[in-house]
Amino acid sequence: MKNLRGQQMTATTGTPPAPQRPAPVPHSPAPQDPVPARPVPVRPAPVAPVHVPRLEGPWHEVHDHLARRGHVVVHTTWGQWLPALLTQPQLRTLLGRDWTRYRRTADPIVRHRFAAARLLLKYTAAAALRTPPAALDLAYRLGGRPYLRGFDQIDVSLTHTGDLMAVALSTIGRIGVDVEPADRQMPLDLLRSQMCTPGEVAELATFPAAEHRTQALRLWTLKEAYTKALGQGMRLGFTQFGFGLRSGALLTPDGADAGHGEWSFASHPVLGRYLLSVACQDAGLNPVGDTAVATMLDEGFLAAMAQYGGPA
Amino acid sequence: MNTARPPQPAPQPAPESAPGPAPESAAQCAAGWAGGGEPQRAARLETLLGDPLDPANPHSHHALLEADERREVPQATEHLLTQQHLGAEFVPHDLGGRLRAPEELARVLRPVFRRDVALGFGFGITSLFAASAVWTAGTGAQRAELARLLLAGGRAAILHRELAHANALLREEFTALPAPGGYVLGGRKEVVMNADRAHMFVMYARTSTQPGGRSHSVLLLDPRTLPPDRLHRLERTSTTGMRSGRFSAIAFTDCPAPHHTLVGQAGDGVLLALRTFQVNRCLIPATVIAGVDTVLRHAVSAATEHRAGALPARRWQRVLAGVFADLLACDSMALAGLRALNLLPDSAHLLAAAVKYTMPDLLREDLEELATALGARGYERGPLSGGFRKLIRDLPVAGLGHAGTAACQAVLVPHLRTLARTSWQHADGAEVPAALFTPGAPLPPFDYRKLTVTGAHDPLTAALPALADHLHQQRTQGPIWAALAELAATFVLELRALGEECAQLPPPTPALITDPRACVLSDRYALLLAAAACLGVHQSQGQQPTARFLNDPAWAVLALSRIARRLGTAVPELPDGVIPAVIAELLHRHREHRSFDLYATQLAG
Repeated sequence: MKNLRGQQMTATTGTPPAPQRPAPVPHSPAPQDPVPARPVPVRPAPVAPVHVPRLEGPWHEVHDHLARRGHVVVHTTWGQWLPALLTQPQLRTLLGRDWTRYRRTADPIVRHRFAAARLLLKYTAAAALRTPPAALDLAYRLGGRPYLRGFDQIDVSLTHTGDLMAVALSTIGRIGVDVEPADRQMPLDLLRSQMCTPGEVAELATFPAAEHRTQALRLWTLKEAYTKALGQGMRLGFTQFGFGLRSGALLTPDGADAGHGEWSFASHPVLGRYLLSVACQDAGLNPVGDTAVATMLDEGFLAAMAQYGGPA
Repeated sequence: MNTARPPQPAPQPAPESAPGPAPESAAQCAAGWAGGGEPQRAARLETLLGDPLDPANPHSHHALLEADERREVPQATEHLLTQQHLGAEFVPHDLGGRLRAPEELARVLRPVFRRDVALGFGFGITSLFAASAVWTAGTGAQRAELARLLLAGGRAAILHRELAHANALLREEFTALPAPGGYVLGGRKEVVMNADRAHMFVMYARTSTQPGGRSHSVLLLDPRTLPPDRLHRLERTSTTGMRSGRFSAIAFTDCPAPHHTLVGQAGDGVLLALRTFQVNRCLIPATVIAGVDTVLRHAVSAATEHRAGALPARRWQRVLAGVFADLLACDSMALAGLRALNLLPDSAHLLAAAVKYTMPDLLREDLEELATALGARGYERGPLSGGFRKLIRDLPVAGLGHAGTAACQAVLVPHLRTLARTSWQHADGAEVPAALFTPGAPLPPFDYRKLTVTGAHDPLTAALPALADHLHQQRTQGPIWAALAELAATFVLELRALGEECAQLPPPTPALITDPRACVLSDRYALLLAAAACLGVHQSQGQQPTARFLNDPAWAVLALSRIARRLGTAVPELPDGVIPAVIAELLHRHREHRSFDLYATQLAG
């Protein structure tokens, strides 16, 4: 059996072979033949984040990653984007409905960081959609997840901490990103009791004590990334699901497999002082690599509407 | 297009149940055992499908999930649906079937979709998607032939053309080149539902390389009449969603097709898609709602278990009530869309596109919200949580993803400027079209042949000011009524703002198509239509059995608050009493095994 990417699934790892379309294989399954259950495939881990130091880019890696892997994570420091923010003539247009919140934020650092993060999101999305950033409407779902109104070819996620900001885009499903300072001091006992599932506590104990804090921080960012991908934030209790620290898999609280292979997760060190985690879902539709606004409306439908449609 | 690559010869699998002769005459089918109105037909199906939680029931959640896990169609349940002649629901009444109104069809299909969305598609509904071009533009002989097939329990598969930003379900297409006596077919598609077992194919084939709206034509193909070495039913494709659905590849190599296979005129394909997809665009959300109903039911069970007074914790009340309100909002929008197909056959395409654009996304958001209430239980392997996770996988396939939404935007975008200058401009005097909002109320006959895309009338949004005026007069009845009046007024303002922006769009030229503002505005327009549908349903219930609850403002306040927040509008806090009223109805229906839609239907179990 082939998957939607036209790839033969390998039962051992589930990793698809090189992305080329196989030659057509004649096949005539007997209708009653049950298809044997396959092991849950392990997807390739999400790609490492791309540093975009300026509003001008470079953006080509955004296109490359989206086209080849279906997702991309961009990071920068808000200080690097501050000059562009301060001299931005279209800031009000660019912030859209976020302008009010920007104006009402008293603390200048918080205010600038808020605006810089939204600029990063809009410029990254605009690069993907190949459209001017000011034309995009950044809206929010009921659970707080940002999205680009009218353009569901990309899902987005945004995070910032300290001076770091990161944006994740995906064309293949939900995506969530979270970042924490790598040296963040977290009270381990509290984490174990408040954040970890019994399965995670047990796996943590198998690591050398010196690694416990790092691994717990990794769990924390993974959980943030996953709940952000689902658009629910803290409403989804952190002890209601877990991760395999070695397997990278989504698990039930008692350590059983909780996914069907749609999700993949990764953690990456960034700028030597942050830990960034990504949760990436593949809804399995294998969309086209093209995300441009200019090509999304079907030419045939538009032409027929113009020819036969009403007075439009 | 892909005609160059010759597939290797493949033996033709015999369809697992050849259609054979019709077991009964058309008249028997329409008026016989499975007769009665659609509430009775839906109830009969619900009873036969039985208690989904009974492990001994062959159609239980457990059995259907096992089939999904094995990637097999649920044979016992498909057999039951065949026995019940469900295929007759997809055949117009004048051809011997039971299809009189899409609203009725959605209602009859809900018992199936409540249990398994993939089954609903695979058994079934895709046969209608295929057949609809024939019902619309086929010759008498084509219509009769296909009707006979579906009435006898046969299946048709639709071979889509490739749409913009296509995904695996819509990628690649077939060509039909003119040849003596007809056409020569070529091309290959990788992911076609029921390609391996369909008895007929309806192909949207490219017949012209010219750009524009006449590039494709529809062909009705009977594989038994095609040379067996030119049609290749290829290997099954593994999908993430609808795993029990039989998706497979299919290819045609220099395959001759006689001229009489043409449906309508050469070059009619894209227009026929526009005319017929409006039915699908309402039916899909209207049936998928029933799947989300089941997940909400599970979440209510989980949240009330071991709770004093069977009342969920306060923090889950908001989630559960919110999703219930969304289901009612979705059903309101679907209802208006479905009824518009009978009532406004020249303008229903706008509402249909908005329904399909808005609802899959909203329902997916609801499932994610329910994940919070389910917590760790959502990951359990049992039949209930398994169904929840299965629906999360199935929903993107049902909605067709971005390519599906973009196809709807392609219908809405060219109309925005005109709507702003016509329907919305003169909205202040518009009356509320109550016939659109009353479930089950009498309708003029539905006829695929009457569906066009020539109209650009939008009675729903046009009615917003009248709906708001009516509520303004009722605002003194209490804080919830006042909140509803305020929300309605907010939507009227949003409509004005939208109208101002849409009026500034360029006319439908290439400049508009590449203008990102148009796509943003089409999203806001679709949400305003959802709001108008909720207000319309709230005000139009009359003597309906569910009127007591639907005429109450609480659900509408909650549903409209959520729509307003999606529009980015500032929304005041919900008045006291809204959540308790909606939760009370939700728990009542949960206890009484009634559906969480506009009909409050009695369920099995």
